Amino acid sequence: MMLKRIAVLVSASKHPISGAARHSHNDSLALQLALNLASKYAASVQVLHAGEADNPALQDYLALGASQIEVVSAAGNIVEKLAAQLNQLDLILTGTRAENAEDSGLLPYLLAAKLKLPIIAGALAINLPENPFRRNMLEVLQFLPKGQRRNILVSTPAIIAVHPLAPIVLHFAHARRSLGSIDVLTSKHLSYDARQWQLEAPRKPIKLKAQIKQTGHERLMDAISSKAKGGTVVNEGNSVEKAQVILRYLREHQLTKF
Amino acid sequence: MTTRNNIRINPKREQKSSTTGLKRVVLQAVKLDESVPSDKPLRTTAKATNYFLVVAHSDRGALDQHARQTIAAAAILADAKTYVLVMILGELNESLAEIGADEVMILPRLNFLQFEPDVELNAVLSVLKSVNPEHIFMPDNLIGDGDLGRRLIAHMQFSAATHVVELDAKHIASYHAGGSQLASMALPKITLLAPNAVDIELPFFSAAKIMQAPTLIQASDVYLDNGLQVMEAGDIALEEADFIVSAGNGVANLSTLETLAQALGASIGASRVVVDDGKLPRDKQIGATGKTVSASAYLAVGISGAVQHLQGIKDCRHVIAINRDSSAPMIKRADLAVIADAEDVMQALISEIAHSKRTVQ
Ligand SMILES: Cc1cc2nc3c(=O)[nH]c(=O)nc-3n(C[C@H](O)[C@H](O)[C@H](O)COP(=O)(O)OP(=O)(O)OC[C@H]3O[C@@H](n4cnc5c(N)ncnc54)[C@H](O)[C@@H]3O)c2cc1C
Ligand SMILES: Nc1ncnc2c1ncn2[C@@H]1O[C@H](COP(=O)(O)O)[C@@H](O)[C@H]1O
Repeated sequence: MMLKRIAVLVSASKHPISGAARHSHNDSLALQLALNLASKYAASVQVLHAGEADNPALQDYLALGASQIEVVSAAGNIVEKLAAQLNQLDLILTGTRAENAEDSGLLPYLLAAKLKLPIIAGALAINLPENPFRRNMLEVLQFLPKGQRRNILVSTPAIIAVHPLAPIVLHFAHARRSLGSIDVLTSKHLSYDARQWQLEAPRKPIKLKAQIKQTGHERLMDAISSKAKGGTVVNEGNSVEKAQVILRYLREHQLTKF
Repeated sequence: MTTRNNIRINPKREQKSSTTGLKRVVLQAVKLDESVPSDKPLRTTAKATNYFLVVAHSDRGALDQHARQTIAAAAILADAKTYVLVMILGELNESLAEIGADEVMILPRLNFLQFEPDVELNAVLSVLKSVNPEHIFMPDNLIGDGDLGRRLIAHMQFSAATHVVELDAKHIASYHAGGSQLASMALPKITLLAPNAVDIELPFFSAAKIMQAPTLIQASDVYLDNGLQVMEAGDIALEEADFIVSAGNGVANLSTLETLAQALGASIGASRVVVDDGKLPRDKQIGATGKTVSASAYLAVGISGAVQHLQGIKDCRHVIAINRDSSAPMIKRADLAVIADAEDVMQALISEIAHSKRTVQ
């Protein structure tokens, strides 16, 4: 059996209105998935966070069933720091996008590049393949838009980012808050690859528009005439012919298979 | 100005003979507006000394609005000596001249339906090697570009920004900390653009010259694509649906529309009037006070096309209307409009579909 050691990366989040620290829902899905897999395949689960050990958000992950959370300081390069703690694992689970910092959705990819591991994003479910010749692989159901799902086999060890809509039921038990432990790991300080962001209060973004040089008359015409282009209008023919026009259009644009 | 109400019928219109020798008039399709402005100037006639690269997946031979906005962004930011090179992963059956592509490379095999991230990454890397672009722009989407873009960022360790909601020549901005901050920085090497950050109306057109695409390099077998599964139309949330058959007040018989939707494998939507009348549940309502949908195909049956309704379908790629009234606003929005009684055309569609399904089997 190839699934023995699982790690989960959890970040902290804040309530959008009150600002109170809380778990990230997406990362909780990743943790719950890890716990489910662990109980199914008797694997161990390592929970890792880069940040402050006294962040109350971490208590939520204890309530969810983490028995121990390892915390590395977020000062410096967190990719390097997290990577240093991730050893001899079969599976590393993350969320898709954090809600507390840059929220770029890049961390799993940066880790994958650093650790030279394959990465799959948007996972809805993970299983071990039934085929005995694929025992060193995981079967991932990946979310795609428009009601499509993809099955991918990925060789282990792998990093898998869980989709925020993954159908996983969270089981919080608040009594567990006092049962688990939060352990601070020391790591040597690494300088942060300073990317200069300037912060401001959220506002409506300004759309990028091409400079359009127009005469006064053109601007007037623009203002009074509708821009809508309009497509093909079919007036003639009986209803069977009109239906055929619609079907022909659908086929031409590959919108239907028949 | 042309009025649509009194279209002259050409007495010498095309005819063809059927197998039984009957003469038939070829169904005339009247183009409302063929005046694609060709009076626009070419964006640049200078020689390229610099490149912006855009990488995007196509879907069934076409680009979605999001990808088009990304190309337009590069074209707006490029100066005369900078060419916009567009790399299309998947087939392409349309011209990109109007949205700002100076050069186009098409890689039909790298369709987003196939999961081959390493082959795609290698293809982009070899283009990077040959043109060394100053900036790279990709749509931050779920049809492969958001994923490929992040792989590229991580591989090259380039300066980058994702989910970018605002950009110009000097800066980009995206929301941080769960949307509680808007963060800006200088235009990075790679920008992954959020939808609707760019107006694609351009005052120029571009050469859209087709270029030789790089040869594909087979990658290791750490990933094995085991195929796609498509959920039943009824199980898909309307926002996610790819094909929607939508009912308006002009639908007398809702069960006909339901049969048609089933035959097409489509989800069902509705205008507010139909929902207000209690004929369909509230979660089917499309429009300003209902859902915003982004289906590839939107079949509007007996829907007038009030602005509040059109707001909900602005992201739909192909809009087809069936309406009795050729002056309904929906006809203007539609890519194809059929002026007829809804029930008659729906019935005809149902039997035509049944017929072609039978002949396929
Ligand atoms: C604040 C506000 C919010 C709103 N939000 C929404 C919203 O979210 N979504 C929404 O849809 N509306 C919304 N509306 C309502 C909107 O303004 C329109 O009233 C509504 O969309 C009209 O629905 P309809 O096109 O189905 O009906 P109608 O306007 O009655 O149009 C019926 C159409 O069917 C055609 N027709 C009739 N009989 C036939 C036939 N036998 N065969 C073929 N065609 C036929 C007619 O020519 C007509 O074009 C909102 C309105 C307000 C004021
Ligand atoms: N400080 C952190 N500590 C642990 N994991 C993190 C941290 N930040 C992000 N992650 C993980 O990386 C995922 C993507 O985050 P991001 O790339 O920052 O948007 C999150 O869902 C988490 O699983």
